[in-house]
Amino acid sequence: MIGLALRTWPYMKPLLAHLILLLGLAGIGMVSGMAGIFVGADLFLNKVLVGEKLQPLQATVLFVGDEYVTNDPRQLGESGENLKADEGISIDGASVELDPEEQLTSDQRRTVRNRFILWGLAGGIFTTLLGFGSWYYSTWIWQSVNQNLRVSMIERAESLSLRYHDQARVGDAIFRVYQDSSMIVNLIQGAIVSPLMTAFSLLFAFAVVIAFDPLIAGFALIAAVPFVLLLIKSTRRIQRRALANRVANSNLTSHIQESFTAVKVLKVNGSEPQIHKQFDKDSNRALDAAYHLRLDMVLLTLVIAFIGGILVIGSEYVLAHWVVDERETFLGAAVAALIGFAIWNLAAFEIARGRIESVAGSARFLLGIWMRMQDLFIALRRAFDLLDTPLEVTESSTPLPYPDPIQSVSWNQVSFAYDAEASPVLANLSLRAEAGTVTAIVGATGSGKSTMMSLLLRLFDPDDGEVCINGIDLRDLRIDALRQNCAITLQKNVLFNETVANNIAFGAGRVSRSEIERAAEIANADSFIRALEKGYETELGERGGKLSAGQRQRISIARAVVRNTPILILDEPTASLDARNEQRVLANLASWGTDKIILLITHRLSTIQNADQIALLEDGLIKETGTYDELTTRPAGRFAAFAQSELIGDATRSVS
Amino acid sequence: MTDSTAPESSNQETRSSIFQEVIGKNEFDDRIDTQSDLNTLEALRIIGRSLRQISSEPKLFSAKVILELGLIVPALYLPWLGKIVIDNVLQQQPFNTTEIEFPPFMQPVLTIVQDQDPLQIMLTVSTIFILGMVVLGMRTYGLSAGLHEGQDAATQAENRISASYSEGSGLWGLAAFMVGVRLTQRLASRLRTRLFERLSRMPMSKLDDQRIGDSIYRVMYDVPMAPDLFLQLTIVPFFMMLNAGINLYVLQYSYGEVSPELIWIAWATVPVAFLITFPFSGAIRRTSQNKRAAGSATTNAMEESVSNVAAVQSLGATGEQSSRFADRSEESFRRERYFIAVVIVCSCIFAAVSGIAGIYVIILVSDLIIDGVMSPGDYAALIGIFWSIAMPAAYLGAYWIKIQDVIAAVRRVFFFMDFESEEDHKDGDECTVIERQITFENVGYSYPNGTRALTDINLSFKFGDLVAIVGPTGSGKTTLAYLIPAILQPTSGRVLIDGRDAREFNIESIRRQVSYVLQEHTFLSTTIRHNLLLANPNATEPQMFDALETAGCVDFVAELPNGLDIRLGRGGDTLSVGQQQRLSIARGLIRDAPVLILDEPTAALDPQTEHFLLRSLRRAAEHRLVVVIAHRLSTIRQADQIVFIEDGRVQETGTHNELMVRSTSAYREYVELQNVAT
Repeated sequence: MIGLALRTWPYMKPLLAHLILLLGLAGIGMVSGMAGIFVGADLFLNKVLVGEKLQPLQATVLFVGDEYVTNDPRQLGESGENLKADEGISIDGASVELDPEEQLTSDQRRTVRNRFILWGLAGGIFTTLLGFGSWYYSTWIWQSVNQNLRVSMIERAESLSLRYHDQARVGDAIFRVYQDSSMIVNLIQGAIVSPLMTAFSLLFAFAVVIAFDPLIAGFALIAAVPFVLLLIKSTRRIQRRALANRVANSNLTSHIQESFTAVKVLKVNGSEPQIHKQFDKDSNRALDAAYHLRLDMVLLTLVIAFIGGILVIGSEYVLAHWVVDERETFLGAAVAALIGFAIWNLAAFEIARGRIESVAGSARFLLGIWMRMQDLFIALRRAFDLLDTPLEVTESSTPLPYPDPIQSVSWNQVSFAYDAEASPVLANLSLRAEAGTVTAIVGATGSGKSTMMSLLLRLFDPDDGEVCINGIDLRDLRIDALRQNCAITLQKNVLFNETVANNIAFGAGRVSRSEIERAAEIANADSFIRALEKGYETELGERGGKLSAGQRQRISIARAVVRNTPILILDEPTASLDARNEQRVLANLASWGTDKIILLITHRLSTIQNADQIALLEDGLIKETGTYDELTTRPAGRFAAFAQSELIGDATRSVS
Repeated sequence: MTDSTAPESSNQETRSSIFQEVIGKNEFDDRIDTQSDLNTLEALRIIGRSLRQISSEPKLFSAKVILELGLIVPALYLPWLGKIVIDNVLQQQPFNTTEIEFPPFMQPVLTIVQDQDPLQIMLTVSTIFILGMVVLGMRTYGLSAGLHEGQDAATQAENRISASYSEGSGLWGLAAFMVGVRLTQRLASRLRTRLFERLSRMPMSKLDDQRIGDSIYRVMYDVPMAPDLFLQLTIVPFFMMLNAGINLYVLQYSYGEVSPELIWIAWATVPVAFLITFPFSGAIRRTSQNKRAAGSATTNAMEESVSNVAAVQSLGATGEQSSRFADRSEESFRRERYFIAVVIVCSCIFAAVSGIAGIYVIILVSDLIIDGVMSPGDYAALIGIFWSIAMPAAYLGAYWIKIQDVIAAVRRVFFFMDFESEEDHKDGDECTVIERQITFENVGYSYPNGTRALTDINLSFKFGDLVAIVGPTGSGKTTLAYLIPAILQPTSGRVLIDGRDAREFNIESIRRQVSYVLQEHTFLSTTIRHNLLLANPNATEPQMFDALETAGCVDFVAELPNGLDIRLGRGGDTLSVGQQQRLSIARGLIRDAPVLILDEPTAALDPQTEHFLLRSLRRAAEHRLVVVIAHRLSTIRQADQIVFIEDGRVQETGTHNELMVRSTSAYREYVELQNVAT
């Protein structure tokens, strides 16, 4: 727990000055509030209501003359010390007989009252403003702390390898970044200040009880045994419940997210009823988890309340006997000045009872704090688990400058498996692509074509071998520099719920509108974009849902073009395009990218005929490389067979 | 009544002023729910509607009321038992010496203790205390089990959805508390399941505008506020008033002399507080909407970037995405503070009013004491009683303003409950088996923004045919196909199913007859088996393997560690894109519906698999209608009918051979182009 609490430090540190100031304000508020209550209670109860004369200081503060001031040396001797006891007595109406000389007149009492009210008003305004001010201030501080944590969690999530993301659910990340991280705002109050203050008030009440009678204190100690045992016993259980609650809610979030991501699939399959049933189940599971957590918390509270109640009622029973017997209090005689009760009487009973109740109440409060703290730390643990998930792809500590100009990229005896147990996707693969050439990579579905590109972008690092640019291992380069110098059209055309222009410029940093339009022209997208309602400013729907697949693909190509990087990766760039569009796009790309390294992944023979180099990927390695003509004429070549099957397809069509 | 907040008509240039910034209408990435302002009447309507929700849980609701009523008992007895302890035990007075009479409900206790000596009385009272504590929580505080909360509305939702309170503890209080938790949960659960259903059944044309993050926010974080509104409207004020009534009775009973004035003051706070806070209600609602809108945007930024993390990383945009999230998150926190600022201003004014009332009472009471009418001891009692009446009165006065935040959240829930949904067509006839044809009659389709996608479509698809829809990208092929299972509804003309207008049928029953393989492939992150079952809950294992075989999935499924039972990662990304496409085809095949639609099925297939698929499609088409959207000639040629679409109009229909011999055929031009490409 302590370790976890210390880990939050980096997120609080930037606000340290504010935190200290806030603590100071809270301190001022508390002290002035307490002082106001003590002084005010004395002034109002004893002076206004009962009519005692004032202390000299009180008179000065209230701007009244000497006639208001007491002459009683007893009163003068002890200033504020015995106010509490006085207060208790005054309220009970059992005030000591007073010398009429020592009484304020009715008019004087009214004056004192009116001036007291003015002071009270000022004080009230001050504390109200201070209170609301620090509410706003503390909100801002904790929001900023939370913001720091949130952002670093999202940064982490964004840079975790796809291996992590392929296993994790999106809702889980949302829940951790949102819900779990928010608990950091309660750390200081919930895990440090409140427990300490409650423990302090518990000890204080306990000390007073000892002063009254050690026997009662003994009762309290005995009652503490089951309390502590219960606390220890139940901690694990509460933690389990709190975790279950968070997991269940995180799953529910995932369920919603996934359902809406796949909403079209659900619609066309008419699977809504199934999904709704599942949602209801997940929702109820989450609610049950919350229910059981609360049931445990309340049950525990109840048991502790019973122990406390028995302590209080039992003590009262004993005290009642003592009052009837007029027994002497323990330290009563010794510290009469402080407590003022030498023997057990009604007032002593009331005050002692109040302290015992306060012991029981504090214990119960402490329990509540403890239980909530378990949930708090479970949440922080989950938040930091995300931050602690090791990055697979790590930044080199001494990165080399990014090479310029780029002459080649090469895979040197690269092996890679997504899963240590599964068979490797790439096994000892080697390939080299030069600047100014187009390299086409062909191969069956799932043969590892996209994986090769993922390695080039360092979405993963190879298990063996190296991927190099100009002969420099990618691991020696900065990840950002690397990715910013590559452009890729993804196989799954990911578009964001943004304008067309922003979608094209996504990830490209600062690009001008004319560059965006130029890129769209190359991708043969300019004309359809201009035909849209608001042209380049048209908002695309969720996941670009308002465009057809072919249009999305062209935007994705424009996005790669606008980056204008020396390496261009086209992963099935034209799968959704019709022949006319495909030809135009490919021709545009060819004339635009003459000095670049172009890597082209495709099924279509039409796309690769003009490639400078074709590489056939099979069984995790490059089986053949060469130009289209070389490969198709190679006797018993694998590529020749591959191309043949495509051509046969056409041949059979012509016949039919 | 009009709200006193910045009027909507205020000019754009004042938008940057702090006033506008704080309480102006600030949307955030919203596309559908853009008219979020509520006037008082609408707010009242939302309240009325919320109240009706209570009727869905009559048992829990009445149980909660009865249990809470029981918890009043300790409060009734406690003062009198305390009096016995002080007077008859500690002071050792006999009974009936004071003029104050015990109320009738104390009689049973009195008959026991009447003749006992003080210590015996103490034993009796202590026994009553202990029993009362165990059963009714006498002498212990009420129960609560709230968890810590964050600093924005989203992170406070967990506590809301399981919110409960109990005035007392003990076994009775435990029951009252847990019944309360269940009541809140059930009310919320009903609402959120309903909202989720409505959202997922929104028409596709609207879903494109609905951000996933916003849906998450509404279902997870707005709904939990709703039960609070129900309870704030019913149980809470009921007990507040009951409590006030009891105190009123005590006040009248013991302090009849001064009470009229005190009661007057206490109750005067109701209209005063109401009138003073009322002008803020619009501002509170609006800042609350604003903070929630920004929360939605934050959730969405997070969802979008995590969900698309592969793209984000590939494009080197992690920094960009993080800062996008940071901006939204910052804005949502800021708007949270704006909301708090309005609450603070409101509270300050409220505090001033109650402060003045309090001071007046102090003057009144202290005058009486100074004049010797009352003893100083009466002061504490009187002030205590005054506050116990003034508090509920103040609560009542601030009531309206308090529920505005909740109303704002509930509005966001109700908005999508009322929004267009396919469920609204549920009352149509059941579409049994489609067996003859699907006809398009003068069909046109325009997107909500007015863009025309299809014009004057007149087509007839016969059963037993393989129909290919062909045309350049963006020509409207997919839109046309969407009209068949009513994913989109024609904006003009009609689609006939076996001669009857499709609109007469309920949508779900049409979709049961259609199996649709989408161009984009998404999977739930469960097992392959479960994803297949989603399409056909009754599919057997052999059927699954048949479908997998036809779609060319068997090889890679066999290689997976758990075969069909492997969990797919986020969106299916443990598989390569090509594999996902094939699996998506398998999912379409397994449905075994009379109409099979495939949108670009072969783009990801290698030639062999494509042949295999086409062969089985031809076979399937014998008793079905198969509609294929395709670019590839190899697929198109197999079709019995080719529909060539360009710019949303049908240019030509016919078989491949028919179309190829026409002299001015757009189709032929299209095919020839493709041949050049190959």
